[in-house]
Amino acid sequence: MQFTSESVETLVEELAKLPTIGRKTAQRLTNHVLKMPRAEVEALASALVDVKDQVMQCSTCFVVTDQDPCPICSSHRRSRATICVVEESSDLLAIERTGDYNGLYHVLGGVISPLDGVGPDDLRIRELAQRIDPSFPDGPSGDGAPDAPSSDAAPDADASDTDAPEGDDAPEPVPVEEVILAVNPNVEGDTTAYYIAQLLEPFDVALTRIARGLPIGGDLEYADEATLARALEGRGAV
Amino acid sequence: MTLDSLRIRSFRAHKHTEVAFAPKVNVLVGANGVGKTNTLEAIHYLCLTKSFVASNDTYAVRQEAPYFELEGTFSGVRSRPMTAKLVYVPHEGKQVFVNDAPLDRLADIVGQLPVVVFSPEDHALTAEGPDERRRFLNNILSQAHPAYMNTLMKYRRARKQRNELLRQYRKKPAPPPEALLAPWTQKLVQLGSQVVARRQTFLHTFTDYLQDAYERIEAVAEEPTITYDTLADVSTDEEGNAEAIADAFRARLAEKQDHEYKRGTTLVGPQRDELVFRLNDLEVRRYASQGQHRTFAMALKLAQYFYLSDTLERHPLLLLDDAFGKLDTERTNVFMQLLQSNDIGQSFITATRSAPFAATVPFDEANHRLFQVDTKNDAARVRIAPAHADVSA
Ligand SMILES: [Zn+2]
Repeated sequence: MQFTSESVETLVEELAKLPTIGRKTAQRLTNHVLKMPRAEVEALASALVDVKDQVMQCSTCFVVTDQDPCPICSSHRRSRATICVVEESSDLLAIERTGDYNGLYHVLGGVISPLDGVGPDDLRIRELAQRIDPSFPDGPSGDGAPDAPSSDAAPDADASDTDAPEGDDAPEPVPVEEVILAVNPNVEGDTTAYYIAQLLEPFDVALTRIARGLPIGGDLEYADEATLARALEGRGAV
Repeated sequence: MTLDSLRIRSFRAHKHTEVAFAPKVNVLVGANGVGKTNTLEAIHYLCLTKSFVASNDTYAVRQEAPYFELEGTFSGVRSRPMTAKLVYVPHEGKQVFVNDAPLDRLADIVGQLPVVVFSPEDHALTAEGPDERRRFLNNILSQAHPAYMNTLMKYRRARKQRNELLRQYRKKPAPPPEALLAPWTQKLVQLGSQVVARRQTFLHTFTDYLQDAYERIEAVAEEPTITYDTLADVSTDEEGNAEAIADAFRARLAEKQDHEYKRGTTLVGPQRDELVFRLNDLEVRRYASQGQHRTFAMALKLAQYFYLSDTLERHPLLLLDDAFGKLDTERTNVFMQLLQSNDIGQSFITATRSAPFAATVPFDEANHRLFQVDTKNDAARVRIAPAHADVSA
């Protein structure tokens, strides 16, 4: 069905682009928006824009945050020798909710997937290696990833001095001893874990993987807390 | 397991159909194109979320209807009757509900409601290319072992990803760097060797089922066998050993490496498996007679039935779509006796005439039912036919 109003049609189309929302649902949502008071519509619209404008990424772990470094990276109470590698910020939140993890994080921003045009250089993998060994080289890995984007991912060396809210209070850097790969247990997650394991092999860090205990094909984000806590506890070497 | 009732809405020839089935033999008689096969397809959709004829879901929606909906009530699956519902909305996809609760994944229903189909397309199994035989293999293994289907889907995904990487580098001066390709190769080998191992151990057992099934329908003492042609160099004493298969897989990939770079695709793996059927020493695909082809294909399907029956400890539904058209009277009678025996559970048969069944099946008993299918107001209509009427198109 085509709407007679072009702006209604535009809204339906934009909503339908969102994941899990088909055209039918988009139409239902649009009908709902048409009935909403103007103030509520404005609140929704500005919430959408604000999330793009005001939210930034932590320059160390790349979680979405309102301050840089993020509260986890700047906390004095967290163990700095352990880094838990996750795909997205939402996975970080899922693990935080278990209350069982006291280390730091690293958000990759996705997984390696040639079908989606995502290679290792499109993710924060090099930045992870640099957290373990600051001398790890910048720029594309040099083995010729196809159409490697210009590296806007490397953290700006000066940023931490100017932006750090706690100034001299910033926690002392500590050598990383363990990297926990908490990517999703699917084909792309497994392959990304394998790639990272290969890359980090020369370094003196213990690599572990949480996957056991998670349902087959299950998403980390949707795993219940008890399952996730069990998976964290029972992590195994890669 | 029995399907006690079926409700069909806006599916192919059906506008709104409700049928209550008998627990053993159900025969649907009607002219071609009135919706007999569509009724069997609806049952198949409920069991495996797709049809047994190659077709796009979109075409299954009745003209001018926004979606189709199928619902069946099954006994003998859970302690209480179980309702399975499948809804398909074009552009939005399919959703399965069990007792009104949506399943997370469509695949979760597979194996819960086992089904076996005999149809005229079965001749492709023995007569045509290897695709059909792999599909047959995947169908049985997916229904019998949910973990197999999961591994197979992951294997396909890993292969697709690896193919894409090879494709991206096909026209470049250098092949993909080892650091990029190795993770995909590792995943491909890990999953692919699990698929091959499972197929090997299965075929080992399945051959006994095939020989037993063949004996039931063929008086001539011929021995049917299946040879599994997979990755080279997997010796028979390593059968089912995923580690040994992985080694063979890796060795074969190494041999084909330059070919893969040049072609930009994966050239080794279970996607190239072949099953060779033989009767004694005769290769069925090349040298068998029409009659031998037909008997072999029927034996394969019957063996599938008994294998699933034993593995799942539950009788599958048996769908026979126009399966007796080319069968002689003697063999039809043998088959009808088998369908009424305790070895087979509930069956659904389509035919254009009731005559061959009326003589062998006591439709006046509660165990069996004869239906007449015709067209009313431009839609399929399924009604119980009088027990002794010679219904025909
Ligand atoms: Zn951070």
